Amino acid sequence: MGFDIDFALSTVPAILGAIGMTLLVALASCLGAATFGFCLEILRRPGGILGLVVRFLIDFIRATPVLVWLYCLYFILPFYGLRLSALTVGITGLSLYYSGYLAEVFKAGIDAIAKGQQEAARALGLGRLDSIIFVIAPQMLRNIAAPMGNYFVSILKATPYLAVLAVPEMLGQAFDIASETYRYAEPLTVAGLIFLALALAIAQAVKWLERRLSAPTSR
Amino acid sequence: MSMLDIWLGILQGFRVTASVTLYGLVFAIPFGLVFGVAQYLTTGLARVIVTAVIEFWRSSAVIILLFVFYYAMPVIGVTLPAMAVGAMVLGLNVGGYASQAVRAGLQALDRGQKEAGQALGLSRQAILLRIELPQALVAMSPTFINLVIQLVKATSLVSLITLTDMTFRAKEIAQIAYEPVPIYLSLLLAYFVACYPIALVGRWLERRVNPAREARHGL
Repeated sequence: MGFDIDFALSTVPAILGAIGMTLLVALASCLGAATFGFCLEILRRPGGILGLVVRFLIDFIRATPVLVWLYCLYFILPFYGLRLSALTVGITGLSLYYSGYLAEVFKAGIDAIAKGQQEAARALGLGRLDSIIFVIAPQMLRNIAAPMGNYFVSILKATPYLAVLAVPEMLGQAFDIASETYRYAEPLTVAGLIFLALALAIAQAVKWLERRLSAPTSR
Repeated sequence: MSMLDIWLGILQGFRVTASVTLYGLVFAIPFGLVFGVAQYLTTGLARVIVTAVIEFWRSSAVIILLFVFYYAMPVIGVTLPAMAVGAMVLGLNVGGYASQAVRAGLQALDRGQKEAGQALGLSRQAILLRIELPQALVAMSPTFINLVIQLVKATSLVSLITLTDMTFRAKEIAQIAYEPVPIYLSLLLAYFVACYPIALVGRWLERRVNPAREARHGL
């Protein structure tokens, strides 16, 4: 029994059909991770006890595997009577895990803004929240666009973890075909190649974005 | 089931987690060094080939690579033990990232370093081995430490290809006793205990190597 190219090709439409789910998971998780991550960074920034606690939480997230986070949410939440769909658990898990990384991206993005901006906002009488929303965040966006893009690619590459929770994204679809036909090599290889192509394409787009944004601004 | 039973159970998987990490490094370190240097030195077609190999290992989703090699290699007549597949795939994936750090480290060196070597009449090989690489590797050492952490975390995936690592043991215990909360939280803690000391080493290195830069990379 060798590698059957024809069979491999016949699995392409079904696996490719799940690309929408893969992209949905990646986008939703990226948005979730950005939201959590930004909150973590804003809570950590002033320091104090809360800052230390958040800092430890970020370190903890980053020192533990994403697969274990998914298992934790998937098995622990129902124990407390909280029954969520595998998709929701998966997106929440990826969001939580990557928020630890994005918090660092936000930190670097905020650190890169000249200190005078914050002081000027204060001098103009803007409150803490107002200065974050109207002064810091808009300038930060430009600084973080490229690293965010890279993390989006990372998150995309983590979406197949959700197959472990039986979410029907591309790897899950490949496993479905495999268990129906008892042939694992072909559908898995097809899923792998599609993922590789997708990751490379998006990484290229991020590079292009990076070049555009690093062009000098007109003042 | 007492907390001690849970910890002892998870600890039984530590040997496998540690073995996959160490064998993974056996693949990652040579791959990262050789391909990083090759990408730095080559031009034209050779560079395209080197880059393609790196991108294959680096840009693929590691969980899919693991399944593809585990299920597809026997089909083409190569049957390797799960430990070898796990160490190879995880190692080369991390090695792909490491190669980019090696190349970036080499490229970031001041041109004067190479030119001074040439002026002294050193061979290209001597310049690389005795002037460029030592500086580049030291400068990038915090990144390498982060990649080791990434490798330790990625070893949780081998539980999916039947290896009895810490994650596998935790799932096993969870099947015997329905106590997901202490079991999975202990598992998170186990990885944290394994990874956090490595992260602290990385931070210490970061301060040593790059005292000027405040950015807290670690993890």
